[in-house]
Amino acid sequence: MNIVLLIILLLLMLYIDIKRGIKLFISIIINFIILIILFYLIAIGINPIICSILGCLIVSYIILFFVNGENLKTISSFKSIIIVLIILSISIFMITKLSRTAGFEYDLDEDISIFSTSVNIDFIDISVALVLFSLIGATIDTSVAISSALYEVYENNKNLKEKELFKSGMNIGHDILCTTTNTLLFVFLGDFLTLFIWYYKGHYSILEIMNAKTFSGEVIKILFSALGCIIIIPITSYITTKSIIKLKNKRIKIKD
Amino acid sequence: MNKKIVLILLILISVISVIFVYNDDFIYKKEILKITSIKTINEDESSNLLGIKEKVYEKEITGIITNGKNKGIIKNIKYEETYSSVITEKYKVGDKVFIDNNNIETLKRDTYIVLLIMLFIIAIYIVGKYRGLLSVISVMINSIIFYIGLILYFKGINIIFICVIESIIFSCISLLIAGGINKKVLSAIISVVTSILIILLLLIIVSKITNYKGINFNEIAYLTVPIEDILIPELLIGTLGAIMDIGITMSSSISELIDKDNKITKKSLYKSSKEIGKDIMSTMSNVLFFTYICAGLPMLVLAIRNGVTITNFIASNYSIEITRFLVGSIGIVLTIPISTFISIKILKRGNV
Repeated sequence: MNIVLLIILLLLMLYIDIKRGIKLFISIIINFIILIILFYLIAIGINPIICSILGCLIVSYIILFFVNGENLKTISSFKSIIIVLIILSISIFMITKLSRTAGFEYDLDEDISIFSTSVNIDFIDISVALVLFSLIGATIDTSVAISSALYEVYENNKNLKEKELFKSGMNIGHDILCTTTNTLLFVFLGDFLTLFIWYYKGHYSILEIMNAKTFSGEVIKILFSALGCIIIIPITSYITTKSIIKLKNKRIKIKD
Repeated sequence: MNKKIVLILLILISVISVIFVYNDDFIYKKEILKITSIKTINEDESSNLLGIKEKVYEKEITGIITNGKNKGIIKNIKYEETYSSVITEKYKVGDKVFIDNNNIETLKRDTYIVLLIMLFIIAIYIVGKYRGLLSVISVMINSIIFYIGLILYFKGINIIFICVIESIIFSCISLLIAGGINKKVLSAIISVVTSILIILLLLIIVSKITNYKGINFNEIAYLTVPIEDILIPELLIGTLGAIMDIGITMSSSISELIDKDNKITKKSLYKSSKEIGKDIMSTMSNVLFFTYICAGLPMLVLAIRNGVTITNFIASNYSIEITRFLVGSIGIVLTIPISTFISIKILKRGNV
């Protein structure tokens, strides 16, 4: 079934645009291979948190510089992503450690019963890696959208002051924010469908669901994905504005 | 209202609700134990077939019951803790846990969840102002409708039918809250509904032809409900957000184009929309890719540490995450031409 769907997807992408379609298709496959390699490294015992932070940087590097090209916009985005990753990895680690959502709920994931749980990897680290990997796509997307739109604003009106530029970056952010949170919400509602049916059949009350491991884990995942999109907005606006102003001053100096 | 006042109010509400949830033991029927001390009884080492060893502890907690008719009674409970905590949990002094006679059921997590939700709401308000709060409200309303739909399903109504109706309600609510009542939003709603119906049709045809061949249902097999019932609605709802995103982006861009040049021909409109469509196609796929594909990480680690080869794992276990991603992307790519066509039809008609 997946192969049929894959062919349909490829055909549709080619219909939209042949060159872009092929490029996108290849980048998806490359991303998939990179992720699987990273997952494998985690599985053979390399520290999951370090692995995921490095992995996110590699993925952003590829998406930003190979797909979009190296320029002021992508460099600013890359810097902002590094800052967001540092802030989020610390807070995700703290929340996961506190709420202990690592691992599986035994009743829910029956197919883990065929495996031995003696694996000697701390699953709290695995959960942190999971959340980091899941939020990186949306975060890169938001960051690129803001830095390129901001640059466009500057190109159209070169007399804008630093403060005004930053403000327009934030304004662009508002629009993206609402649609991205919406996209993420439905991705997770789709997952919740099966989860809720299971909880319902197990006669869980809403209060019990609130405290269940899998549900809490999913909520943490969705909220951090959204938080990634939120905090990248001011950070990207600030860094892009700074670099644009720097560039502007340089140009003025050269003219003089 | 002043922005600062709202912010202070929000912080105040957050602090109060976190404190309340931390002390809300009385609303639970299950007994809650507050841990006062933990001692290790026994330390051991377990190993699996590959010879990977890890520490296993037998521990005993002492705690006070904080709710129900046994409130104030001190209790000792033994439990097992493992280094990896795949299915066990690690407790520390001060934690509250749910207990069932002489077993620990699970940690009381609601405080942390509420704390995170409140942080999220404050952050979205600081960055997104009122529109940020509005999107939180639309998320809440949508979640309630989602829950009502599930209850109707258990009453015996066909889930695909519920799903289609819900998708229409979801898109009306989210798009109207985000954009207000106007032609742009109307054309976005029509595009979204049309796309949903076409994707549904496509999914039904593909699943009938291939008979779900190659999809591993391990993950949802425990539901004891017909798989066809669950898979298609799950895929449909998962892709809905992205479809809405594309629908509103396309219709606003097209209305922007018409506003700028009233005499623009349909042909040049189609041409410009195609350019816009190309740009959104790649970024949206990235969002879906990472959120879906990463979900399999814990299972992959567990399987590989138990000697399953990575190729075997991908072939047998990864299929459902890939299906979700593929259907989501198909949704995105399919919505671009559909919403272009519908938006131009609706928005151009009024202007001529």
